[in-house]
Amino acid sequence: MAKVKVKRAGFVIDMTPLVDITFLLLTFFMFTAKFKSEAESEQTFIIERPTASADTAKLPEAQLAVIKVAFADTTQRDTSYYLEMLNANEWAEVKNNMLSKDQAFADRMDKAQMPLNSSEELATAIGEIRRVNPDTEFAIDADQDVDFAWVFEAMDLLRRNLFTEFSFVTDKRTGQSE
Amino acid sequence: MAGGGSLGGGSRPKRGKNKKRKQAKRVGFHLDMTPLVDITFLLLTFFMFTTTLTQPSIMDMRLPPELDTPVDVKESELFSLLIAEDGQIYFYQAQEDAAVVPMSDLKAMAVNLNLEVKNRLITVLKSHPKAPYGTLVNVLDELNLAEQRIVKELVKENDPETGLPMQRSRKFTMAKWTEDDQKKIDEAGGGSTAGEGEES
Repeated sequence: MAKVKVKRAGFVIDMTPLVDITFLLLTFFMFTAKFKSEAESEQTFIIERPTASADTAKLPEAQLAVIKVAFADTTQRDTSYYLEMLNANEWAEVKNNMLSKDQAFADRMDKAQMPLNSSEELATAIGEIRRVNPDTEFAIDADQDVDFAWVFEAMDLLRRNLFTEFSFVTDKRTGQSE
Repeated sequence: MAGGGSLGGGSRPKRGKNKKRKQAKRVGFHLDMTPLVDITFLLLTFFMFTTTLTQPSIMDMRLPPELDTPVDVKESELFSLLIAEDGQIYFYQAQEDAAVVPMSDLKAMAVNLNLEVKNRLITVLKSHPKAPYGTLVNVLDELNLAEQRIVKELVKENDPETGLPMQRSRKFTMAKWTEDDQKKIDEAGGGSTAGEGEES
């Protein structure tokens, strides 16, 4: 009796399959992980992108400049432009050039995603980008509910600066055949 | 001595017994995996929460550069699409009256018109400044989808000049909204009241 009590082997769960699966998932997520950029993490607004199904191309990684058109707050009244370039060196150069033209940019210099208060500022920025790197690829990332006038203004500025090829950032439309 | 001998004698069978027992039981060694699992789960959750799985895709846009010299265009080859303030889509050809076209019919219409006037049809898209930008992208998407079908149909025919399968050349532009466009929509019968019919 006493002997049996002493023995009382604590039960053991075999964790091997669990570890197997966990490692599998871990490696999967490690390899697919793409971290949010600095600019994205400081972004205070949410862009609800329009959906499209025809194009499957992904955003280019290099030489990309993104013009974001978004509602600055949740009331969906105050639209504004934000500009971001993926190439940090070029972006710094553009920002410095912008600063030398207009001191109003001084308080926004440290932002990776620079808010622009007017279309004139956007025009200045696009002009500077043209000067720094004419091969920059532009993308317009706008909320689907913003007034078209904002997007048209940005398109028009791009066209005037001879960036006639650019892209709209969209989300993949799901649940449609063809 | 005797005691020691008995002890030794006693120990020998004992040892043998031990050996036997070991062989019979053969306890596989256990590795405590709990800390390993702890850390792995921690990393797993970290990566799961930090990854952004849905990468945005892009829609290419190509605008014709601004030209100072106006290009002569046959009016019959002009296909205009208007997006009204409420998101309704209107279309007209040449100088005809505008009519509402639902988003679901847009693709078929673009395909038919383009096959009628092969490669010469110019699609002009205009959007009211207050119209939601999402509608414009949806219209562009429909036109892009139509493009696939147009190309598929066009290559079946041969170019009369070269004898090779016909190449598609797409003519598309976006223009600024004008008073005339608003007038056209107003004439079409105040679509603003039926603004809820727009699909997304």
